[in-house]
Amino acid sequence: MTEEMKQNTEKTLMEELGFTEVEIARRRAFLELGDDDIQELLSINKLAKEYADPVIEAFYKHLLSFEETRVFFQDPGLLERVKRAQKAYFSRLTQGDYDNTYIEDRLNIGAVHERIGLPVKAYLGMYNFYLRNVANHLYEAYKDMPGKALRVYLSLLKVVFLDIGLAIDTYINRREQLIGKQREAMRELPTPVLQVRDRLLIIPVVGILDSYRARQLTEQLLDSISATRAKAVLMDITGVPIVDSKVANHLLQTVSAARLMGATVILTGLSPQIAQALVAIGVDLSHVRTTVDLQSGLEEAERLLGYRLVPVGERTGTNQAHV
Amino acid sequence: MAEVVRVAIRSDADIVMVRQQARVLAKELGFSASDLTLIATALSELARNIVDYAGQGEIILSLINQGGHRGLVIIARDNGPGITDIERAMQDGYSTGKGLGMGLPGTRRLMDEFEISSGMGQGTTVKVTKWAR
Ligand SMILES: Nc1ncnc2c1ncn2[C@@H]1O[C@H](COP(=O)(O)OP(=O)(O)O)[C@@H](O)[C@H]1O
Ligand SMILES: [Mg+2]
Repeated sequence: MTEEMKQNTEKTLMEELGFTEVEIARRRAFLELGDDDIQELLSINKLAKEYADPVIEAFYKHLLSFEETRVFFQDPGLLERVKRAQKAYFSRLTQGDYDNTYIEDRLNIGAVHERIGLPVKAYLGMYNFYLRNVANHLYEAYKDMPGKALRVYLSLLKVVFLDIGLAIDTYINRREQLIGKQREAMRELPTPVLQVRDRLLIIPVVGILDSYRARQLTEQLLDSISATRAKAVLMDITGVPIVDSKVANHLLQTVSAARLMGATVILTGLSPQIAQALVAIGVDLSHVRTTVDLQSGLEEAERLLGYRLVPVGERTGTNQAHV
Repeated sequence: MAEVVRVAIRSDADIVMVRQQARVLAKELGFSASDLTLIATALSELARNIVDYAGQGEIILSLINQGGHRGLVIIARDNGPGITDIERAMQDGYSTGKGLGMGLPGTRRLMDEFEISSGMGQGTTVKVTKWAR
Protein backbone atom coordinates (compact mmCIF):
# COMPACT_ATOMS: atom_id res chain seq x y z
CA MET A 1 0.00 0.00 0.00
CA THR A 2 2.59 2.56 1.04
CA GLU A 3 4.82 1.29 -1.73
CA GLU A 4 2.06 1.94 -4.20
CA MET A 5 1.45 5.42 -2.94
CA LYS A 6 5.10 6.18 -3.15
CA GLN A 7 5.12 5.02 -6.73
CA ASN A 8 2.27 7.35 -7.55
CA THR A 9 3.72 10.50 -6.14
CA GLU A 10 7.43 10.02 -6.76
CA LYS A 11 8.92 9.69 -10.16
CA THR A 12 10.55 6.35 -10.73
CA LEU A 13 14.19 6.46 -11.70
CA MET A 14 13.21 5.31 -15.16
CA GLU A 15 10.96 8.31 -15.62
CA GLU A 16 13.51 10.64 -14.13
CA LEU A 17 16.17 9.44 -16.54
CA GLY A 18 13.75 9.44 -19.47
CA PHE A 19 13.90 5.68 -20.03
CA THR A 20 11.01 4.90 -22.30
CA GLU A 21 10.33 1.51 -23.93
CA VAL A 22 11.87 2.96 -27.05
CA GLU A 23 15.04 3.97 -25.23
CA ILE A 24 15.42 0.54 -23.67
CA ALA A 25 14.87 -1.13 -27.03
CA ARG A 26 17.54 1.16 -28.53
CA ARG A 27 20.03 0.20 -25.88
CA ARG A 28 19.41 -3.48 -26.45
CA ALA A 29 19.70 -3.00 -30.20
CA PHE A 30 22.99 -1.15 -29.83
CA LEU A 31 24.40 -4.02 -27.78
CA GLU A 32 22.86 -6.49 -30.25
CA LEU A 33 21.23 -8.18 -27.31
CA GLY A 34 18.62 -10.42 -28.90
CA ASP A 35 16.54 -13.52 -28.36
CA ASP A 36 19.47 -15.83 -29.16
CA ASP A 37 21.37 -14.31 -26.28
CA ILE A 38 18.45 -14.77 -23.96
CA GLN A 39 18.26 -18.45 -24.97
CA GLU A 40 21.98 -18.86 -24.34
CA LEU A 41 21.69 -17.29 -20.92
CA LEU A 42 18.62 -19.30 -19.96
CA SER A 43 20.48 -22.45 -20.94
CA ILE A 44 23.07 -21.88 -18.20
CA ASN A 45 20.71 -20.76 -15.46
CA LYS A 46 21.00 -24.11 -13.69
CA LEU A 47 24.77 -24.09 -13.98
CA ALA A 48 24.88 -20.50 -12.74
CA LYS A 49 23.04 -21.56 -9.60
CA GLU A 50 25.68 -24.22 -9.03
CA TYR A 51 28.61 -21.86 -9.26
CA ALA A 52 26.79 -19.01 -7.47
CA ASP A 53 28.25 -19.75 -4.02
CA PRO A 54 31.91 -20.11 -4.95
CA VAL A 55 31.68 -17.03 -7.18
CA ILE A 56 30.10 -14.95 -4.42
CA GLU A 57 32.67 -16.09 -1.89
CA ALA A 58 35.57 -15.23 -4.19
CA PHE A 59 33.87 -11.94 -5.02
CA TYR A 60 33.63 -10.78 -1.42
CA LYS A 61 37.06 -12.10 -0.52
CA HIS A 62 38.40 -9.85 -3.25
CA LEU A 63 36.27 -6.89 -2.14
CA LEU A 64 37.37 -7.23 1.46
CA SER A 65 41.03 -7.51 0.59
CA PHE A 66 41.18 -3.90 -0.54
CA GLU A 67 40.94 -1.07 1.97
CA GLU A 68 38.93 1.19 -0.35
CA THR A 69 36.13 -1.37 -0.75
CA ARG A 70 36.47 -2.95 2.72
CA VAL A 71 35.56 0.33 4.42
CA PHE A 72 32.00 -0.02 3.21
CA PHE A 73 31.45 -3.19 5.23
CA GLN A 74 31.95 -2.22 8.86
CA ASP A 75 28.69 -3.90 9.79
CA PRO A 76 28.70 -7.72 9.51
CA GLY A 77 24.91 -7.76 9.10
CA LEU A 78 25.23 -5.44 6.14
CA LEU A 79 27.80 -7.72 4.56
CA GLU A 80 25.42 -10.66 4.79
CA ARG A 81 22.52 -8.71 3.31
CA VAL A 82 24.61 -7.38 0.44
CA LYS A 83 25.97 -10.85 -0.28
CA ARG A 84 22.46 -12.23 -0.54
CA ALA A 85 21.34 -9.40 -2.82
CA GLN A 86 24.43 -9.83 -4.97
CA LYS A 87 23.82 -13.54 -5.31
CA ALA A 88 20.25 -12.90 -6.36
CA TYR A 89 21.49 -10.43 -8.97
CA PHE A 90 24.05 -12.82 -10.42
CA SER A 91 21.42 -15.49 -10.83
CA ARG A 92 18.97 -12.92 -12.24
CA LEU A 93 21.49 -12.23 -14.99
CA THR A 94 20.71 -15.60 -16.58
CA GLN A 95 16.92 -15.56 -16.18
CA GLY A 96 15.87 -13.59 -19.25
CA ASP A 97 13.05 -10.99 -19.09
CA TYR A 98 15.31 -7.95 -19.30
CA ASP A 99 12.21 -5.79 -19.12
CA ASN A 100 11.15 -2.58 -17.38
CA THR A 101 11.22 -4.12 -13.91
CA TYR A 102 14.70 -5.40 -14.59
CA ILE A 103 15.87 -1.99 -15.79
CA GLU A 104 14.28 -0.18 -12.83
CA ASP A 105 16.00 -2.61 -10.45
CA ARG A 106 19.38 -1.98 -12.04
CA LEU A 107 18.87 1.77 -11.83
CA ASN A 108 17.95 1.56 -8.17
CA ILE A 109 21.02 -0.55 -7.40
CA GLY A 110 23.18 1.93 -9.26
CA ALA A 111 21.63 4.77 -7.26
CA VAL A 112 22.38 2.99 -3.99
CA HIS A 113 26.01 2.56 -4.97
CA GLU A 114 26.27 6.19 -5.89
CA ARG A 115 24.62 7.29 -2.66
CA ILE A 116 27.11 5.39 -0.53
CA GLY A 117 29.87 6.87 -2.66
CA LEU A 118 31.26 3.64 -4.10
CA PRO A 119 33.84 4.80 -6.63
CA VAL A 120 33.10 3.94 -10.27
CA LYS A 121 36.53 2.28 -10.56
CA ALA A 122 35.56 -0.14 -7.78
CA TYR A 123 32.19 -0.75 -9.39
CA LEU A 124 33.77 -1.58 -12.75
CA GLY A 125 36.60 -3.53 -11.15
CA MET A 126 34.14 -5.79 -9.39
CA TYR A 127 32.24 -6.49 -12.60
CA ASN A 128 35.51 -7.39 -14.21
CA PHE A 129 36.39 -9.72 -11.36
CA TYR A 130 32.97 -11.37 -11.61
CA LEU A 131 33.26 -11.88 -15.37
CA ARG A 132 36.70 -13.44 -15.13
CA ASN A 133 35.43 -15.80 -12.47
CA VAL A 134 32.39 -16.82 -14.46
CA ALA A 135 34.52 -17.25 -17.60
CA ASN A 136 36.57 -19.88 -15.78
CA HIS A 137 33.47 -21.73 -14.59
CA LEU A 138 31.97 -21.73 -18.07
CA TYR A 139 35.22 -22.92 -19.60
CA GLU A 140 35.38 -25.80 -17.15
CA ALA A 141 31.72 -26.74 -17.52
CA TYR A 142 31.69 -26.79 -21.33
CA LYS A 143 35.03 -28.43 -22.02
CA ASP A 144 33.26 -30.98 -24.21
CA MET A 145 31.13 -28.51 -26.13
CA PRO A 146 33.39 -26.42 -28.32
CA GLY A 147 32.20 -22.84 -28.70
CA LYS A 148 29.42 -23.07 -26.11
CA ALA A 149 31.35 -21.37 -23.32
CA LEU A 150 32.33 -18.49 -25.57
CA ARG A 151 28.78 -18.06 -26.93
CA VAL A 152 27.30 -17.92 -23.46
CA TYR A 153 30.02 -15.62 -22.26
CA LEU A 154 29.46 -13.16 -25.09
CA SER A 155 25.73 -13.10 -24.35
CA LEU A 156 26.47 -12.51 -20.70
CA LEU A 157 28.78 -9.63 -21.63
CA LYS A 158 25.92 -7.93 -23.44
CA VAL A 159 23.61 -8.03 -20.44
CA VAL A 160 26.40 -6.98 -18.12
CA PHE A 161 27.24 -4.02 -20.33
CA LEU A 162 23.57 -3.07 -20.46
CA ASP A 163 23.62 -3.03 -16.66
CA ILE A 164 26.88 -1.12 -16.41
CA GLY A 165 25.50 1.50 -18.75
CA LEU A 166 22.41 1.87 -16.61
CA ALA A 167 24.38 2.11 -13.39
CA ILE A 168 26.73 4.73 -14.74
CA ASP A 169 23.76 6.75 -15.94
CA THR A 170 22.40 6.81 -12.39
CA TYR A 171 25.78 8.02 -11.16
CA ILE A 172 25.74 10.84 -13.67
CA ASN A 173 22.10 11.61 -12.93
CA ARG A 174 22.77 11.99 -9.20
CA ARG A 175 25.67 14.32 -9.83
CA GLU A 176 23.60 16.40 -12.19
CA GLN A 177 20.87 16.68 -9.62
CA LEU A 178 23.39 17.91 -7.10
CA ILE A 179 24.70 20.52 -9.49
CA GLY A 180 21.10 21.48 -10.25
CA LYS A 181 20.39 22.00 -6.56
CA GLN A 182 23.45 24.19 -6.17
CA ARG A 183 22.38 26.25 -9.14
CA GLU A 184 18.91 26.48 -7.66
CA ALA A 185 20.35 27.88 -4.44
CA MET A 186 22.28 30.51 -6.34
CA ARG A 187 19.22 31.48 -8.27
CA GLU A 188 17.40 32.46 -5.11
CA LEU A 189 19.30 35.73 -5.26
CA PRO A 190 16.62 38.38 -5.40
CA THR A 191 16.57 41.03 -8.10
CA PRO A 192 16.77 44.37 -6.31
CA VAL A 193 14.37 47.12 -7.22
CA LEU A 194 15.97 50.47 -6.44
CA GLN A 195 14.23 53.76 -6.00
CA VAL A 196 16.40 56.46 -7.57
CA ARG A 197 14.15 59.38 -6.84
CA ASP A 198 10.47 60.03 -6.32
CA ARG A 199 8.38 57.95 -8.74
CA LEU A 200 11.45 56.47 -10.47
CA LEU A 201 12.66 52.89 -10.04
CA ILE A 202 15.66 51.05 -11.47
CA ILE A 203 15.70 47.32 -11.80
CA PRO A 204 19.01 45.85 -12.91
CA VAL A 205 18.47 42.38 -14.37
CA VAL A 206 21.55 40.21 -14.25
CA GLY A 207 22.13 36.69 -15.49
CA ILE A 208 19.86 34.14 -16.98
CA LEU A 209 16.20 34.96 -17.08
CA ASP A 210 14.33 31.67 -16.89
CA SER A 211 10.59 31.42 -16.30
CA TYR A 212 10.97 31.21 -12.54
CA ARG A 213 13.18 34.25 -12.25
CA ALA A 214 11.11 36.18 -14.76
CA ARG A 215 7.98 35.62 -12.70
CA GLN A 216 9.83 36.64 -9.56
CA LEU A 217 11.07 39.77 -11.27
CA THR A 218 7.61 40.76 -12.46
CA GLU A 219 6.14 40.26 -9.00
CA GLN A 220 8.85 42.25 -7.31
CA LEU A 221 8.56 45.05 -9.78
CA LEU A 222 4.78 45.29 -9.51
CA ASP A 223 4.96 45.29 -5.72
CA SER A 224 7.52 48.07 -5.78
CA ILE A 225 5.51 50.09 -8.26
CA SER A 226 2.48 49.91 -6.02
CA ALA A 227 4.49 50.64 -2.87
CA THR A 228 6.31 53.67 -4.27
CA ARG A 229 3.62 54.78 -6.73
CA ALA A 230 6.34 54.85 -9.37
CA LYS A 231 5.59 56.35 -12.76
CA ALA A 232 8.74 55.29 -14.54
CA VAL A 233 10.90 52.20 -14.35
CA LEU A 234 14.31 51.67 -15.86
CA MET A 235 14.80 48.00 -16.56
CA ASP A 236 18.46 47.51 -17.30
CA ILE A 237 19.37 44.29 -19.09
CA THR A 238 23.08 44.95 -19.64
CA GLY A 239 23.72 41.87 -17.51
CA VAL A 240 21.49 39.54 -19.52
CA PRO A 241 23.73 37.63 -21.94
CA ILE A 242 21.13 36.37 -24.41
CA VAL A 243 17.57 37.39 -25.13
CA ASP A 244 15.70 34.68 -26.99
CA SER A 245 11.98 34.72 -27.79
CA LYS A 246 11.02 33.35 -24.40
CA VAL A 247 13.02 35.91 -22.44
CA ALA A 248 11.71 38.63 -24.76
CA ASN A 249 8.18 37.41 -24.09
CA HIS A 250 8.77 37.64 -20.34
CA LEU A 251 10.11 41.16 -20.71
CA LEU A 252 7.14 42.19 -22.84
CA GLN A 253 4.73 40.80 -20.28
CA THR A 254 6.46 42.62 -17.46
CA VAL A 255 6.29 45.85 -19.43
CA SER A 256 2.54 45.41 -20.07
CA ALA A 257 1.82 44.58 -16.45
CA ALA A 258 3.71 47.67 -15.29
CA ARG A 259 1.81 49.79 -17.80
CA LEU A 260 -1.49 48.56 -16.35
CA MET A 261 -0.29 49.88 -13.02
CA GLY A 262 0.41 53.26 -14.49
CA ALA A 263 4.19 53.00 -14.86
CA THR A 264 6.20 53.31 -18.04
CA VAL A 265 9.07 50.88 -18.43
CA ILE A 266 12.17 51.92 -20.30
CA LEU A 267 14.37 49.06 -21.35
CA THR A 268 18.05 49.93 -21.24
CA GLY A 269 21.26 48.11 -21.97
CA LEU A 270 20.10 46.23 -25.04
CA SER A 271 23.37 45.50 -26.86
CA PRO A 272 23.55 45.96 -30.64
CA GLN A 273 24.13 42.20 -31.03
CA ILE A 274 21.06 41.30 -29.01
CA ALA A 275 19.00 43.87 -30.88
CA GLN A 276 20.15 42.32 -34.16
CA ALA A 277 19.26 38.83 -32.96
CA LEU A 278 15.80 39.96 -31.85
CA VAL A 279 15.15 41.51 -35.24
CA ALA A 280 16.21 38.26 -36.93
CA ILE A 281 13.94 36.20 -34.71
CA GLY A 282 11.14 38.62 -35.44
CA VAL A 283 10.27 39.68 -31.92
CA ASP A 284 8.50 43.01 -32.01
CA LEU A 285 9.82 45.40 -29.37
CA SER A 286 8.53 48.50 -31.13
CA HIS A 287 5.95 49.14 -28.41
CA VAL A 288 8.61 49.19 -25.74
CA ARG A 289 10.66 52.26 -25.00
CA THR A 290 14.32 51.32 -25.30
CA THR A 291 17.54 53.24 -24.93
CA VAL A 292 21.12 52.16 -25.57
CA ASP A 293 22.44 52.69 -22.08
CA LEU A 294 21.35 53.47 -18.57
CA GLN A 295 22.44 57.11 -18.86
CA SER A 296 20.10 57.90 -21.74
CA GLY A 297 17.41 55.83 -20.08
CA LEU A 298 17.68 58.03 -17.02
CA GLU A 299 17.41 61.18 -19.08
CA GLU A 300 14.34 59.82 -20.83
CA ALA A 301 12.73 58.82 -17.53
CA GLU A 302 13.35 62.24 -16.07
CA ARG A 303 11.85 63.89 -19.07
CA LEU A 304 8.82 61.64 -18.61
CA LEU A 305 8.53 62.65 -14.98
CA GLY A 306 8.96 66.33 -15.80
CA TYR A 307 12.41 66.74 -14.29
CA ARG A 308 15.16 68.62 -16.04
CA LEU A 309 18.76 68.02 -15.15
CA VAL A 310 20.84 71.17 -15.26
CA PRO A 311 24.52 71.59 -14.32
CA VAL A 312 24.92 73.56 -11.04
CA GLY A 313 26.64 76.53 -12.70
CA GLU A 314 23.72 77.04 -15.03
CA ARG A 315 21.10 77.43 -12.33
CA THR A 316 19.17 80.46 -13.50
CA GLY A 317 15.75 81.99 -13.61
CA THR A 318 13.07 80.65 -11.28
CA ASN A 319 15.55 78.76 -9.13
CA GLN A 320 17.48 81.90 -8.24
CA ALA A 321 14.36 83.82 -7.48
CA HIS A 322 13.80 81.56 -4.47
CA VAL A 323 17.24 82.18 -2.95
CA MET B 1 40.59 21.00 -28.95
CA ALA B 2 37.50 18.86 -29.31
CA GLU B 3 35.60 19.24 -32.56
CA VAL B 4 32.41 17.67 -31.31
CA VAL B 5 30.55 18.22 -28.06
CA ARG B 6 27.34 16.60 -26.88
CA VAL B 7 25.34 18.29 -24.16
CA ALA B 8 22.37 16.60 -22.50
CA ILE B 9 19.44 19.03 -22.28
CA ARG B 10 17.05 18.58 -19.39
CA SER B 11 16.60 21.96 -17.76
CA ASP B 12 17.10 25.67 -18.18
CA ALA B 13 20.53 25.29 -16.59
CA ASP B 14 21.64 23.04 -19.46
CA ILE B 15 20.70 25.79 -21.89
CA VAL B 16 23.34 27.99 -20.32
CA MET B 17 25.82 25.14 -20.45
CA VAL B 18 25.32 24.43 -24.13
CA ARG B 19 25.62 28.12 -24.98
CA GLN B 20 28.96 28.28 -23.22
CA GLN B 21 30.21 25.18 -25.03
CA ALA B 22 29.10 26.61 -28.34
CA ARG B 23 30.86 29.88 -27.61
CA VAL B 24 34.14 28.04 -27.06
CA LEU B 25 33.77 26.01 -30.26
CA ALA B 26 32.55 28.90 -32.36
CA LYS B 27 35.44 31.11 -31.27
CA GLU B 28 37.78 28.60 -32.92
CA LEU B 29 36.29 29.59 -36.23
CA GLY B 30 36.68 33.30 -35.64
CA PHE B 31 33.00 34.20 -35.69
CA SER B 32 32.24 37.87 -35.08
CA ALA B 33 30.59 39.03 -31.86
CA SER B 34 27.27 39.41 -33.67
CA ASP B 35 27.50 35.94 -35.15
CA LEU B 36 28.28 34.51 -31.73
CA THR B 37 25.16 36.17 -30.36
CA LEU B 38 23.03 34.94 -33.27
CA ILE B 39 24.32 31.40 -32.74
CA ALA B 40 23.74 31.54 -28.98
CA THR B 41 20.22 32.82 -29.53
CA ALA B 42 19.38 30.06 -32.02
CA LEU B 43 20.82 27.50 -29.65
CA SER B 44 18.69 28.91 -26.87
CA GLU B 45 15.54 28.56 -28.95
CA LEU B 46 16.30 24.94 -29.85
CA ALA B 47 17.30 23.97 -26.33
CA ARG B 48 14.20 25.61 -24.86
CA ASN B 49 11.97 23.75 -27.26
CA ILE B 50 13.53 20.50 -26.06
CA VAL B 51 12.94 21.41 -22.41
CA ASP B 52 9.45 22.79 -23.00
CA TYR B 53 8.01 20.24 -25.40
CA ALA B 54 10.06 17.05 -25.09
CA GLY B 55 11.24 17.27 -21.48
CA GLN B 56 14.71 16.18 -22.42
CA GLY B 57 17.04 15.58 -25.29
CA GLU B 58 20.51 16.46 -26.48
CA ILE B 59 22.43 18.96 -28.52
CA ILE B 60 25.47 18.01 -30.54
CA LEU B 61 27.79 20.77 -31.66
CA SER B 62 30.30 20.04 -34.41
CA LEU B 63 32.88 22.01 -36.30
CA ILE B 64 32.86 21.10 -39.96
CA ASN B 65 35.04 21.84 -42.92
CA GLN B 66 33.48 21.43 -46.34
CA GLY B 67 35.99 22.13 -49.08
CA GLY B 68 37.72 24.79 -47.02
CA HIS B 69 34.41 26.25 -45.95
CA ARG B 70 34.27 26.09 -42.17
CA GLY B 71 31.18 26.18 -40.04
CA LEU B 72 29.40 25.20 -36.87
CA VAL B 73 26.66 22.58 -37.03
CA ILE B 74 24.09 22.32 -34.27
CA ILE B 75 21.94 19.22 -34.03
CA ALA B 76 19.14 19.37 -31.48
CA ARG B 77 17.36 16.06 -31.03
CA ASP B 78 14.84 14.57 -28.69
CA ASN B 79 12.55 11.55 -28.42
CA GLY B 80 9.62 13.68 -27.35
CA PRO B 81 6.10 13.83 -28.80
CA GLY B 82 7.28 15.25 -32.13
CA ILE B 83 5.58 17.87 -34.29
CA THR B 84 2.50 16.80 -36.23
CA ASP B 85 2.35 19.73 -38.60
CA ILE B 86 5.84 21.01 -39.32
CA GLU B 87 4.65 23.56 -41.84
CA ARG B 88 2.52 25.27 -39.22
CA ALA B 89 5.21 25.04 -36.57
CA MET B 90 7.52 26.90 -38.96
CA GLN B 91 5.09 29.81 -39.29
CA ASP B 92 5.72 33.02 -37.36
CA GLY B 93 3.52 33.20 -34.31
CA TYR B 94 2.37 29.58 -34.20
CA SER B 95 2.67 28.10 -30.73
CA THR B 96 0.94 25.20 -29.04
CA GLY B 97 2.28 26.51 -25.73
CA LYS B 98 2.19 30.04 -24.42
CA GLY B 99 5.18 31.06 -26.49
CA LEU B 100 5.53 33.76 -29.10
CA GLY B 101 5.81 31.07 -31.76
CA MET B 102 8.96 32.65 -33.14
CA GLY B 103 11.49 30.04 -32.01
CA LEU B 104 11.65 27.76 -35.04
CA PRO B 105 11.10 30.35 -37.77
CA GLY B 106 13.43 32.71 -35.92
CA THR B 107 16.13 30.08 -35.72
CA ARG B 108 15.89 29.57 -39.46
CA ARG B 109 16.54 33.30 -39.95
CA LEU B 110 19.36 33.38 -37.41
CA MET B 111 21.30 30.57 -39.08
CA ASP B 112 22.51 29.90 -42.64
CA GLU B 113 21.05 26.43 -43.05
CA PHE B 114 18.08 24.81 -41.41
CA GLU B 115 16.64 21.29 -41.58
CA ILE B 116 13.93 19.79 -39.43
CA SER B 117 12.57 16.28 -39.26
CA SER B 118 9.82 15.32 -36.90
CA GLY B 119 6.62 13.41 -36.73
CA MET B 120 4.04 12.49 -34.17
CA GLY B 121 5.61 10.08 -31.71
CA GLN B 122 8.94 10.14 -33.52
CA GLY B 123 10.78 12.83 -31.66
CA THR B 124 12.28 15.89 -33.28
CA THR B 125 15.63 16.59 -34.87
CA VAL B 126 16.65 20.05 -35.98
CA LYS B 127 19.95 20.59 -37.74
CA VAL B 128 21.26 24.09 -38.33
CA THR B 129 24.54 25.43 -39.66
CA LYS B 130 26.32 28.75 -39.47
CA TRP B 131 29.20 29.28 -41.86
CA ALA B 132 32.23 31.28 -40.80
CA ARG B 133 32.82 34.20 -43.08
N1 LIG C 1 11.32 19.72 -29.82
C1 LIG C 1 10.00 19.83 -30.02
N2 LIG C 1 9.16 18.80 -29.72
C2 LIG C 1 7.83 18.90 -29.92
N3 LIG C 1 7.22 20.00 -30.39
C3 LIG C 1 7.98 21.07 -30.70
C4 LIG C 1 9.40 21.04 -30.53
N4 LIG C 1 9.88 22.24 -30.92
C5 LIG C 1 8.83 22.97 -31.33
N5 LIG C 1 7.68 22.28 -31.19
C6 LIG C 1 6.31 22.72 -31.58
O1 LIG C 1 6.42 23.77 -32.50
C7 LIG C 1 5.78 24.94 -32.02
C8 LIG C 1 6.52 26.19 -32.45
O2 LIG C 1 7.77 26.26 -31.80
P1 LIG C 1 8.49 27.66 -31.66
O3 LIG C 1 8.57 28.26 -33.01
O4 LIG C 1 9.78 27.47 -30.95
O5 LIG C 1 7.49 28.53 -30.82
P2 LIG C 1 7.10 28.46 -29.26
O6 LIG C 1 8.16 27.67 -28.56
O7 LIG C 1 7.07 29.88 -28.83
O8 LIG C 1 5.77 27.80 -29.19
C9 LIG C 1 5.70 24.76 -30.53
O9 LIG C 1 4.62 25.47 -29.95
C10 LIG C 1 5.54 23.25 -30.40
O10 LIG C 1 4.20 22.87 -30.59
MG1 LIG D 1 10.17 27.80 -28.83
